Amino acid sequence: MIAGDRNWLLIFAACVALATIYPLIADGYQLTVIRDALIFGLFAASLDFFWGRTGILCFGHAAFFGIGGYIMALVTLNDAIPFASLLGIMGAVAGAAVVAAIIGYFLFFGGIRGSYFTIVTLAMGVICQQAAVSWSSVTGGDSGLIGIPPIEFDVGGLHVDLSQDLPSYIFVAAIVAVAVLTLWSISRGRWGTVLTAIQDNEVRAAALGHNAPLRLLVTFVLSAAIAGLAGALYVCMAGLVAPDLSGLLLSTEVIVWVAVGGRGTLLGPVLGAIFIQRAQQTISSFNPSLWPLLLGCVFVFVVIVFILPDGILSIYARLKVLFKGRRRAQ
Amino acid sequence: MSDVLLQAENVGIRFGGLQALEALDLTVRDKELCCIIGPNGAGKSTFLNVLTGTLRPTSGSVRFLGRDIAGLPLHRIARLGIARKFQIPSVFPSLSVEDNLKVARWGAPSPVRPVAELLELVALGNRAATLAGELAHGQKQWLEIGMALAIEPRLLLLDEPTAGMTPQETLATAEMLLRLKGEFSIVAVEHDIRFVRALNCETLVLHQGRRLRSGPFHDIETDEMVRDVYLGRR
Repeated sequence: MIAGDRNWLLIFAACVALATIYPLIADGYQLTVIRDALIFGLFAASLDFFWGRTGILCFGHAAFFGIGGYIMALVTLNDAIPFASLLGIMGAVAGAAVVAAIIGYFLFFGGIRGSYFTIVTLAMGVICQQAAVSWSSVTGGDSGLIGIPPIEFDVGGLHVDLSQDLPSYIFVAAIVAVAVLTLWSISRGRWGTVLTAIQDNEVRAAALGHNAPLRLLVTFVLSAAIAGLAGALYVCMAGLVAPDLSGLLLSTEVIVWVAVGGRGTLLGPVLGAIFIQRAQQTISSFNPSLWPLLLGCVFVFVVIVFILPDGILSIYARLKVLFKGRRRAQ
Repeated sequence: MSDVLLQAENVGIRFGGLQALEALDLTVRDKELCCIIGPNGAGKSTFLNVLTGTLRPTSGSVRFLGRDIAGLPLHRIARLGIARKFQIPSVFPSLSVEDNLKVARWGAPSPVRPVAELLELVALGNRAATLAGELAHGQKQWLEIGMALAIEPRLLLLDEPTAGMTPQETLATAEMLLRLKGEFSIVAVEHDIRFVRALNCETLVLHQGRRLRSGPFHDIETDEMVRDVYLGRR
């Protein structure tokens, strides 16, 4: 476990170093591409924090991303609200957390687990997207809301203005790094160990004095809050919010990012999100209809071929085990 | 009586048309060891489920330290000081032996024994880093007893603690429990007579959901009626 921790920190440090030198070699456009991919990476890490440690799949995680995005848009587009960027982010995080707390309370304390939870959250995602389309007086309907201003705030005399490419890249990269490191330290310690125990045998964990539904609920709420944060960041960078951001397609894509990157690793899903989005852009430039086809194949491959249930980051560990076994056999 | 820990009075439970338990009484005093035996289907596990509050009796009551525990959430019952070992060994297979014990300690309101001591108690000192899922069957049973000890219970309820064990492991388990006797109360449900003989304690014999006999094991063992039931003559 300790060796695993060290490897994780090494990979994390390498990623941070890479992200630090990237502005030196990339132009403004490339920076914004990676910046947006990092935001989706944060979103993927938020899903992994819940799915990876509890084994329960949320199939409507984009609902929280979308809720965060819409709250951020509504707050920053309203001229009457002071400190709009900061209040917007706080509102986005709180809004996603409250919705997750209400839905999660009934599901977890009602004993809903496994695929039943997945189905209910799938419905939740569809409802959110439909609400965004239908409630057009507030959400702008199908076309969404445009003209969302970039994040801008003062902190301790320092004026932060994220309308330029480089500052916005640095801001997002720093938030993603801090968030991933925080989620990781929560999930590797006592909290994560008890979650693993609950995943193994919930009744047993409860018989040892652990309040399993409460622990699952808090984990779910935290996961949703981070997803809301990612949504808020995204709409400010993109300048618009649309119903797609809470839709089924994004909910599916984030699952693919996590599954491909390595469930339970937190860092893997961030890399998975960046990698797959780059692949998507490259492949779509050949033929736009090629990508959905490929995405479907990858999804089926990862889920059904359960040879790599822990994703690509586990290949190294598996190879090591394999070679060790060989050596012993000789 | 002030030292009464668990008191079941006139407990009865119906599943549809089946009267699974009828008019059962059990009093467990502080630091007392007792066994519940009976042939298959006698209602032993059902009775234990009632005693741990997981099943609500249709009549009668179960009180722990004077408090009705029926229907309380599982984790609240655990925090009152009732530990339980399940019939099927239920450890956390994807955690190490040490982490299993840690999770158990974290659940306790005020854990006392350090993990190292627990490991020694259940004879798993050299298996701390092993994944619990890879342990042998008997070792899983012991680990589960260790997890039950970790929450520093007032009362330990064991559901067939020796199921699937070899005769040597069974006797080692009996010795383990005799060593722990005097620290807290233990109620064991068992149908392995060798195990109960090794414990030689107060015994309640169930048959078809009712009390057949109760008393010290020595008297029970020589009872004609009990022998008949076990041999299937009645």
